Amino acid sequence: MEMSRQEGTVPWEIDGATSNPVAASFLGQEAPPAVGRPTTGGGIGPRMNPDETPGRWPFYWTRAVYSGARRGWNGGGGGRGGSWATDYPKGDRQFLVVLKRLVRLNAYDWENAVQLTNPDLRRFPVLYAVEVGRMDLTDPEVEGLRSYLEAGGFLIVDDFWGSRQWAQFEYNMDRVFPDRSIVDLPLDHPIFSAYYDIEQIKQVPNINNGAGGYQTHERDGYVPYVRGITDDKGRLMVVINWNTDLGDAWEWAESPYYPLEYSTFAYELGTNMIVYGMSH
Amino acid sequence: MDAIFEFLFKYRSLVWEQGDFVFGAPASTRLWLGVAGLLAASAVATYTIARGKSTVADRGIMAGLRVALLGLIVFCLMQPTLVLSTVVPQQNFVGVLIDDSRSMGLENADGSLRTDFVAEAFGPESDLLAELSERFVLRFFRFSDVATRIDALDELTFDGTRTDLATALDGAREELAGVPLSGLVVVSDGADNEDRPLTEALVPLQAAGVPVFSVGLGDESIEPDIELGRVELPRAVLEGSTLMVDIVVTQSGYGQRTVPIIVEDDTRILAEETVELGRDGEPVVARIGFQLDGSGSRRIEFRVPAQEGERVERNNRRTAWVDVEGDREKILYFEGEPRFEVKFMRRAVEDDDNLQLVVLQRTAESKFLRLSVSDSTELQFGFPATREELYRYRALILGSVEASFFTFDQLQMIADFVSERGGGLLFLGGRDAFAEGGWQGTPVEEVMPVILGDPLGGDSGYFQEVKATPTPAGLAHPTVQLDAEPVAVSARWDSLPPLTVVNPVFDTRPGATTLLSGRAVAGGQNVGGPDQVLLAFQRYGRGTSIALTAQDTWLWQMHADVALEDQSHESFWQQMLRWLVDGVPTAISVSTDQERVEPGESVRLVATVSDSTFIDVNDASVTARVTSPSGAVDELTVEWTVETDGEYSVEFRPSELGDYEIELIAEREGAELGTDRAYLHAAPSDDEYFDAARHTSLLQRVAEETDGQFYTPETVGTLPEDITISGAGVTLIEEHDLWDMPVIFLLLLLLMGAEWGFRRVRGLV
Repeated sequence: MEMSRQEGTVPWEIDGATSNPVAASFLGQEAPPAVGRPTTGGGIGPRMNPDETPGRWPFYWTRAVYSGARRGWNGGGGGRGGSWATDYPKGDRQFLVVLKRLVRLNAYDWENAVQLTNPDLRRFPVLYAVEVGRMDLTDPEVEGLRSYLEAGGFLIVDDFWGSRQWAQFEYNMDRVFPDRSIVDLPLDHPIFSAYYDIEQIKQVPNINNGAGGYQTHERDGYVPYVRGITDDKGRLMVVINWNTDLGDAWEWAESPYYPLEYSTFAYELGTNMIVYGMSH
Repeated sequence: MDAIFEFLFKYRSLVWEQGDFVFGAPASTRLWLGVAGLLAASAVATYTIARGKSTVADRGIMAGLRVALLGLIVFCLMQPTLVLSTVVPQQNFVGVLIDDSRSMGLENADGSLRTDFVAEAFGPESDLLAELSERFVLRFFRFSDVATRIDALDELTFDGTRTDLATALDGAREELAGVPLSGLVVVSDGADNEDRPLTEALVPLQAAGVPVFSVGLGDESIEPDIELGRVELPRAVLEGSTLMVDIVVTQSGYGQRTVPIIVEDDTRILAEETVELGRDGEPVVARIGFQLDGSGSRRIEFRVPAQEGERVERNNRRTAWVDVEGDREKILYFEGEPRFEVKFMRRAVEDDDNLQLVVLQRTAESKFLRLSVSDSTELQFGFPATREELYRYRALILGSVEASFFTFDQLQMIADFVSERGGGLLFLGGRDAFAEGGWQGTPVEEVMPVILGDPLGGDSGYFQEVKATPTPAGLAHPTVQLDAEPVAVSARWDSLPPLTVVNPVFDTRPGATTLLSGRAVAGGQNVGGPDQVLLAFQRYGRGTSIALTAQDTWLWQMHADVALEDQSHESFWQQMLRWLVDGVPTAISVSTDQERVEPGESVRLVATVSDSTFIDVNDASVTARVTSPSGAVDELTVEWTVETDGEYSVEFRPSELGDYEIELIAEREGAELGTDRAYLHAAPSDDEYFDAARHTSLLQRVAEETDGQFYTPETVGTLPEDITISGAGVTLIEEHDLWDMPVIFLLLLLLMGAEWGFRRVRGLV
């Protein structure tokens, strides 16, 4: 059965969260995207009281809010809006829906975006950051991310392409950890077998390239990499998905045009990263 | 007092106690009563008839005095007699047991030694010895633990390392069982340091009618002096474990003084604690914590430096041995869902080489993640389905997993893991833990140290932030010690961020102990209400079960309020997991009934043997390979005791000073069941210098319960005569007239004088 592109975006529209930055842009509103846990709307699962201390759920899929390049309709600044919010919150919600079907995880059903400078960040030991090739961290954010990772936090980085964006990301990570190098994670690393056995790192295209059947790469990012930064004891602190866009694959998995191969792989790798990040 | 009694009544009170009082006059009692009545009536009649100037009252008093006088005469005419059963000279034996232990070498307050009395009382010039020898055949014994016959006093060494009065009395009684025995004489300070009940030795003596005459030596109190009480340490601990030890410090003459207690091993000082002594004579308890690093058998000494003028310095130190084990203890942590507790608990103990935290985490229905397993087959089918598989682990941690995950057999097996295998079991809080996990009514429920309420699960279920606060019991428990300084422990706990709980647990089972309670807070402020039970434990069968009802102790590591260098989370989990495996028995174990002996002393090796499912085995072939300090190897066959299932034992007597290594090998039908290792330390002992004052009450009890007498060196002069009239042995009957007792003549004079005086006063002369 064919499904029109319009139909593919229906769930996104009827979700109706006014805090949705994408929806807001369509409506031409200037309101900055909400940060944190939503308190209204619904349809997935119960939402928590915004005043409640996080902890009722063992797992919150948490997105890092960082300073970086503005991106047109995302608007805002100073950490509010920008590249961090790519795919937000649809990608987060959709990922959680599938994740909870695959893994016996007592996860909060909704997005949870937290600034790197917020002390509450330390309550969420797994963190997701996208479009880090546009990242431009402030000093307090550098400090916040460093202490988060040194305390035991686990950062998953996704959706940045090519050598220029790599350089930008590497520059920022050098500020966080001047003495730590970034290394390739071999396929026999436990992260590739924490839940699914992953034997090949596939390049996951964005929605346009994937659905359109074009090339999978962007810019000069022809080869996908999964890289990492480890602490003094060799424990993985940061897992870097470069030249790939897992977030789009999660977000558009329901689209009949987006190849199942990529969304399946993206969910497999995403699940592995979370199971690994919660146990290692 | 005794001398006055003896003067008035002719004989000592003891003689009166031992003898029978009779009247020697041949005629019947009725006749003598008639005579007495007649005399009394005539006396009364005399006064009644002769009225004179006297009043009725005067006559009554005078008649009474006269009747009493005549009564006394009649008493004498009836020939009062004391009948005694006395031993026949040189026909009876007396065993003399002389304490040959080291405490006999202690000085008295006057500068003399306890042994001086032995030399004086039983030396060649002694009157006491001469008198005893005249009446009895003497057999001398020396004793510390057992009684050994000696022929001369110079065989005494006063170097015995123990004082075991009960065994000594048994030995002497058995040795003299075939001869007429008039009694045993025990010369000792009574500082018995064996646990054997004295009654076991006294009952046979009572049955045989053998009185024991005890002579107590030494001062009843040694002052001034400081003494350390017995120190109890586990025989074996894991390397790096922290021990908390209570030490009782008793003193006399040093009230309110502040003294240091030093804990050291052979190479360094492990801890030093200052303790303020109580009021004079009152003991105080000092708590000292220290860590043991480096595996092997370790000698730990606790000591208080000698104080000025102290009389006994050798009781200021206690020594204990601990086997610090470098083994890797295996703990199974079964978690029902991906949770950060897994990650952070693993991180907390990953540097601990002595703990292997094997994680089995359910990631989906029937899908598991196995971490830190020993090989690819371990837990390949999920949670163990057999006892053999589960009992390989020393401890089990159950995370957020519902009871219905397990089969009934597995639930029973988990309960048996604690009660029969003796393993440690830790229950963690979580959505599927405790009541919310449906654990009520399962065999595991009663293993839990907490009482389960009604389940309040679900997304809108119970949720509360709690601040962990140590209870008084917690402050004294090693697992709750987050800081090396005991005084800082409460402050450290106060500085930690609150945790969250989703299982309302407010009560513990009878017998359980709460170590941490959780004060309900919100936004850092108390919100009132009852305290949550956060950490509690109980003994269950052979093992221990612990409940930690919080679901996110990882906050103690991750929370923004916790400094990156803070080690509270790591310390807590390392101590917690060590506690879980502490004292968990092995299928094969060997120990000795004493951790220290002197060469030549006997020690009993005790082994317990069970199979891999911890069922006792009685038909094993058990061998102990004992390696002496010089390297000589001796193989001993260890026999089943018959009295207890799975228990085997053998006696062993080390001959060298130093550490003996004992390797136990248990086999059945040619297949090895297992091995274990223990250490024995052959070393000099200071036991005799502890609690070494004269134990008068003990020596009195021995004498009283056997119809003997207790003496001090000052009163021992009557000992020969007392044994003579004790009635034990070959005896003859002696009759002693009592009419000539001075008290009778004194009474006569008193009555006559009273009558005469009364008449004079009343003008009736």
